[in-house]
This record gives sequence, structure tokens and C-alpha cells, in this order.
Amino acid sequence: MAYVATRGGERAIAQSERLYREGLGPIDRDRVAAVADALPWLVDRVMGEASLYEPELAALALAQTGGDLYEAVLLLRAWRTTQPRLAIARPVTQDRLFTHRRISAAFKDIPGGQILGPTLDYSHRILATEVLEGRPLTPAPVQKADRPAPPHHPSLAAWQKAQGLVADPAPEEVAPEAIPDLTREPLLFPAPRAHRLQGLARADSGGVLALGYSAMRGHGNAHPTVNELRLAEAELRVPHPRGTVFSAGRVKVSQAEVAAKEGGTRIRLGFAATLGWNEVKVIAAATLDLNAPGAAKGTPTEEEFFLYHTEPVEASGFCIHFKLPHYVTFQSALDAMRDANARKTQPPADPLLRCENTLGGSGGRSAPGAPHAPAHPAKETTE
Amino acid sequence: MSDENDPDPSGGMDHARLLETLAGAEATRLKALAEMLLPLLPAPEVLKSGTGLVMLPMRDTVQGTDFHLGEVLVAEAHLRLPSGIEGYGMVTGRDLERAMAMAVVDAAAAEGVQPEAIARFLHAEAARIAAADRDILRAVEATRVEMETF
Repeated sequence: MAYVATRGGERAIAQSERLYREGLGPIDRDRVAAVADALPWLVDRVMGEASLYEPELAALALAQTGGDLYEAVLLLRAWRTTQPRLAIARPVTQDRLFTHRRISAAFKDIPGGQILGPTLDYSHRILATEVLEGRPLTPAPVQKADRPAPPHHPSLAAWQKAQGLVADPAPEEVAPEAIPDLTREPLLFPAPRAHRLQGLARADSGGVLALGYSAMRGHGNAHPTVNELRLAEAELRVPHPRGTVFSAGRVKVSQAEVAAKEGGTRIRLGFAATLGWNEVKVIAAATLDLNAPGAAKGTPTEEEFFLYHTEPVEASGFCIHFKLPHYVTFQSALDAMRDANARKTQPPADPLLRCENTLGGSGGRSAPGAPHAPAHPAKETTE
Repeated sequence: MSDENDPDPSGGMDHARLLETLAGAEATRLKALAEMLLPLLPAPEVLKSGTGLVMLPMRDTVQGTDFHLGEVLVAEAHLRLPSGIEGYGMVTGRDLERAMAMAVVDAAAAEGVQPEAIARFLHAEAARIAAADRDILRAVEATRVEMETF
């Protein structure tokens, strides 16, 4: 093990941080409020990946990092550790979600009907360059219906189970305090389903999309169709000291089920959900859940593969650690390369000497030209 | 811990409805009500006032597995009156004054202090919350589609 000291580094590090922050300018409440107002979908994405729901703090993290999502998630995950856990809420169930959007691509006549909600699904995507010429893009107001939509919709999966279309395993009753929790336990494989779904809920949106997309393109064992997609608000139901359970407020959540034919008679479903509204993430994550059973080791749809590789803080942290000093490791690789090159250019060694080295050389470096000399540089390790 | 929601005389609402209405009440008006009630209450002992996390579990619709969706930041306040009556407030976000105001009104309602004023406040806020929800759901309903296969 060796270490590298950086001379004069303190001042350079201080100035580099100043240079970074100078580029962002002052961060004040107005900027945070502007981020929260203007970028609600991005705020949602960051809250989901941070696994911490607080829109104002997420907007602050985005403002403070200039929109570097991995830095923003890291700030929020770190800040979260300063807070005590006060309670575990009552589990959210699908039929109690205050629903804003609810669609199915598999069944057109779903109980409760299809509601597009806020979406650009059927709209043209055209960059509004007129905004840059001084003509604001002012949205036309929604022409509201006379009567409201029902706040809650029945579960499509429950209907499918009742019809015998989907397997209906008896749910395991677990007290909220006994639900497996990745923030307090290591991730081990095969993972409890609660760990898998929690891991996907806090996963990196881009990472989940990449792996889910690979399954959609044919690297999985099942092609997904969206069974049900919801954007909704969930009640945070907590206990009062007197025992009354009440809602302390609502939080935005997304959830998706994707379906594939299982054998000749049934439908198999995959499921995912996350904090905030982020439907690409939940569709991709549900596709991974759908494909995980029976996936081959080391493939994108294998549980261990996708959970390890979509954890945003660990993945981004490991990636960026490679830019930190690796001089000793790399120097060792260079030394090994120079040794190898030197051996190639030297004349063959005396056969007798070679024999002695072979017989007596265990535990030491081989002489140049020895037949078992290492041909590859040493494996790189972190300094 | 029980899921039973105690009936409460304040405003004719049960305790859960009272708490939900307070948690969803407009912050400035809630704090003003608490300011008005506080001098009328015997000095409370503050047991808790701070922010913290509540883990939110969700039930998977495929296998019925409960799993943790993520944590929600909340402000919490808990106080006790000399009579032993406790007031409790929890709201999403970081507003400690809002949580404390909720706890004060909860305690005042249980103590029977200014029941008419509390009932007026609860009914007004419940109506405002219901109207806001209705407004959202009218917009949501406008996006309903009927799919046909040709």
C-alpha cells in the first residue's frame, strides 16, 4: 500500500471549489423556489432516487449542485442521515391512492376507466423557440369536467386475480416494523421481495431504464405490456399517541404493473413504484421485476445484477472515484509492462540458469526470460 | 396501537378527521387559531418538537408484499396539558410552527376549550380542502378517454 501526497493542494482545492460555486452564483430562497416551481418532474426524480420526500429540500439540492443529479441525490441521502426516524406509516394500498392518471395498455375497458391525467403521450414534442424571441409559452387552461373524477380507483390486478387471469398468492401479513428495510440491513441474495422493490424504488432512473430497455429489446425472457400505470398521491397515515390513525399529508407516488403471457392460461405481472411522478422509471423497473424470475446469472434482468448496478450513489461514487489519484497502482502496471518489454528484447537466458530459477524460484520474482514470468500487469487496486 | 378513531365533540368530527383537517389546513390560519387558543390553555409541557422521517410502505399488487417506498420528512410536535390531555401534530415538510399549532388545537379540542371557534375553523378548512380536491378531480375527469378497437 502506498499513498500520494499533494503539495500545495489545500489552496488549489479551495480555489477549485470556489471556481465551481462561482459558476453557479448565489443560491438563495428565490432560486430554490424557482427550481421547485419550474422543474417539478426533476424534483420528483431526485426525491425518488434519494428515497426522501421533501420537495423544497430536493429543489435546494438541485440548485446547490447546478442540476448535477448524482450530486443532488448524494446531498439528500447524506442529509437524511441527520434525521431520526419517527414512525413507519400504514402501508399504502393501490385502491386508496388519490389518482391523477391511470391507464392500461393491455385492457381498454378497465374497471373505473382510463384517465390520461397530466401527460404529453399524445402531443407533439416541438421545442418552443418563440420563447427565446420574447413570446412566452402560456398554457391554455384545462376545461374542467362538470363532475369530478372519483378520487380512488379499483385495482386492476385485483380484478384480474378474481377472474383467475393472474396468480393470487396469499399476502404475507407483516407488521410495518418488520418490513425488510435496505436502509438498515445489507442487501443479500436471493433478496426478499421487499428489498427488491425498495431497491428499485430508490434506483437510478437512467440505470433502470437502460437495463429495463435491454429486456424490452429482447435480452429478457418476457416482453412487457403496461397492465396499469398510475400517477397518484398517497396518504401518509400515522398513529396519534392516543391510537387514532390519521393522514399527516399526501405525497406523490408512481406505480406500474407490466404484464406478459405465462404459459397458455395466465398472465404474469411485474411491479414497481417510487416516490414522486416518474413513469419511465416505474415501467422499466416493473419490466425488470417481471423478467427477474429465472434470469441467468450476470444478465441485466438478474436481480443481483440490476439491484447492484442501479444504486445511484454507489454507482456514481464508484465511477467518479477513478478520477482520484491512482498513480501508484498505475505506476505498478507500467513497471510490469516495462519488465515484459525488457524481457522481449533480451537474448534467451542460459538453459542451466533457467532451470535453477525454475526449481528454486518459488516465492520470488522470476528471472528475465523465465518461462513462467508474469505476462500481464498486476491487477489494479485502489490506493 | 389501535386503528380505532375516537369520536371527538369538536366540530362533530371524529378524531381522525379532526387531525387530517388540521394537517391539511392552511398554515397561516392554523397558526393564528393556535395563537388565539394558547393563552386560554393551562401551560403545556412540550414533549417533542422537531423534524424527522416517516417511512412509507406500499403494498405490491402482484404478490401482496409490503415494501418501503421511501421516507417522508415531517415536522412533529407533542405536548401535554396539566390535566394529562395530550396534543399531537404531524405535518409533511419542515414547518415546526405548523406542527406545534396542530398540537395546540388538538389539545384544546380535547380539553374543550373554545369548541365553537375550533368547530368553525375545522368546517371552513374541511370545506376548502374538499373544494381543492374537487377542483383537481374535475381537471382529472376532463382527461378521461374511451378506447375503441377498430
